[in-house]
Amino acid sequence: MGIFDGIVQGFSVALDPVNLLYVFVGVLIGTVIGVLPGLGPTATIALLLPLTYTIEPATAVILLAGIYYGSMYGGTITSVLLRLPGEAASVVTTFDGYQMAKQGRAGPALGIAAVGSFVGGILSVLGLMLLAPPLADLAVTFGPPEYVALTALGILLVTYLGTGTPLKSLAMAALGLLLATVGQDPITGTGRFTFGQVALFDGVDFVAVAMGLFGVGEILHSLERTEKVQAVTRGIRNIWPTRKDFRDSSGAIARGSVLGFVIGVLPGGGGVISSLASYALEKRRAKDPSRFGRGAIEGVAGPETANNASSTSAFIPLLTLGIPANVVLALIFGALLVQGVTPGPQLISQEPEIFWGVIASMVIGNVMLLALNIPLVGVFVQLLRVRTGILAAFALVVTMAGVFSVNNDSFDMWVVLVFGVVGWLMKKTGFEPGPLVLAFVLGEIMERAFRQSMLLSNGNLDIFVTRPLSGGLLAVMALVVVASILTARKRRTAFRHVDPEREVEAGAEPTEPTPGRANRPTPDTTDADVPSSSGER
Amino acid sequence: MSAPARERRPRAGARSQLRRIAPLLLLALGVAALLTAQGMGLGELTAPGPGLWPAVVAALLTGTAAALLFLDPAEDYEAWTAGTARIAAGLVGLALFVVLFVAIGFIIPTFLLLTAWLRFFGDESWRMALVLGVAGALLLHLVFVIALGVPFPAGPVDQLLGG
Repeated sequence: MGIFDGIVQGFSVALDPVNLLYVFVGVLIGTVIGVLPGLGPTATIALLLPLTYTIEPATAVILLAGIYYGSMYGGTITSVLLRLPGEAASVVTTFDGYQMAKQGRAGPALGIAAVGSFVGGILSVLGLMLLAPPLADLAVTFGPPEYVALTALGILLVTYLGTGTPLKSLAMAALGLLLATVGQDPITGTGRFTFGQVALFDGVDFVAVAMGLFGVGEILHSLERTEKVQAVTRGIRNIWPTRKDFRDSSGAIARGSVLGFVIGVLPGGGGVISSLASYALEKRRAKDPSRFGRGAIEGVAGPETANNASSTSAFIPLLTLGIPANVVLALIFGALLVQGVTPGPQLISQEPEIFWGVIASMVIGNVMLLALNIPLVGVFVQLLRVRTGILAAFALVVTMAGVFSVNNDSFDMWVVLVFGVVGWLMKKTGFEPGPLVLAFVLGEIMERAFRQSMLLSNGNLDIFVTRPLSGGLLAVMALVVVASILTARKRRTAFRHVDPEREVEAGAEPTEPTPGRANRPTPDTTDADVPSSSGER
Repeated sequence: MSAPARERRPRAGARSQLRRIAPLLLLALGVAALLTAQGMGLGELTAPGPGLWPAVVAALLTGTAAALLFLDPAEDYEAWTAGTARIAAGLVGLALFVVLFVAIGFIIPTFLLLTAWLRFFGDESWRMALVLGVAGALLLHLVFVIALGVPFPAGPVDQLLGG
């Protein structure tokens, strides 16, 4: 099937009234949770996973994808107005966006972010349409050794490109792989690590693990924080940016689109990395870098474009190789698996309505988001009046009821609780849950492919190196390891480079900002507890 | 989150112990898994047994955990605070919720959990907590039981509400 036929089929799926409703619900939920600090896309998608089982697979992905890129729009609003990132990818937007708001230019900051997100999203969808089918054709030729190499590369890149300590992330990935082995051996059927518990024969439920780590873990962590954050909710006028604003930021939007697209495709990429990279790039290119941190519109336009572009292109590895590029995509992968759909090279030919339907829904969703965000910013800002305590209480009950509804089994509720504690302890000790969940999802694919490779090669490990594709992928892995060891110190400085501290010192701000850990008292009205939004990408 | 942010966190004495406990726990888990996997039968590379892959993965966990004993940056750790007691209380509340849920159904435990959580952790007034607790329990009952048809354990209130 050609790309054109695909697009036509995609729109016929996406324009179905039910799917249209779900796109709208998805982008609306995404925007709302993007605005609400503390509830990021990862936690929300984890919470909503059980509800997606009752709907069609294509519709489920349309909904979840809408939440993901919708949150990229919504996260901007709080970053600009309150200097609190609503979700982790919007951290950099706080640097210049909040300064613009203080200068009375909150409107143009939000406007340019929405326009940039729209441009980045649409360009990224175009790239997805053009790149995914040939990539899937290539992937059809992959054998088990390639899958071992690919999954290993994915896990490795997630641990290295993440924002945590690579060694700790690697330990978490190992833990995730180990958890994935609980239950029956996929080939011989022998029970492993079940401790005689019947409930464990089918393995640990993915939904329960994700909901525990991201949902309950996050809420527990927020209980410890007692600081109150004051929000600015003064009126916003003149959302539409001036012609000069557009001129100033058009380059940043163009570069952000490309950068975001490329980073999104890489395993481990996604929102946070792409927005940080775009900010660093714009600052380096600027004739007068000192403007950054004092309300430079490029500093808002570039990163906001990049994070939305990356949230779209991150679907490429999932839909063509069956490898989720980041945690949110791992959750969507899990949702598809439970539906009986295995994402992979065959997806485009076997389930075209999912592939093209989701792509077409992204175009529609981005149009809806632009339409929602420009006129309705004032409405979304009112959401900040919802107190975090109320949000947390309801999120907990919905989590518990939701996880029960997956298998109608109260055992899963205990699993959620246990992983909630684990998730909280991981936050306390600086271990990231992302690599664990990603490895947990990839674990079964990896083991199966590894054992098939061993059968293919008669137990010869050379098979991974001698086949050109798997050998090439392993060479890339080796390069990543070597490069990351060599540049370990540089990487730290790169993150420091975009740290707002210096900018804020220049702006004579009384408080001490910590990126990703959003607890900044700011003047004015309204109160809201703000748990951290780190861990999401 | 970025490394510099952690360096600015307040230092605390308790952290030095915590620093050792996390990798040690992982190490113990890794070794235990390694031994269990061996017991399951490793097989040969030509005919991998059920324990081979778990053993490979457990070895990776053991290795990284052992390295973390020495290489772990201390600034990654957050100090224990008085708020930690709130977490324990919250967990007890959640565990109680699950026990009650199995025994007497969804509505009453949900009302109790919502109200208690809003009052004690959300700092809402008693009136607000009670109103939201009743409304929330009824609304969620409507969503899950009536709309989605989830078979929650039966309880005393369910006959009154139907579903």
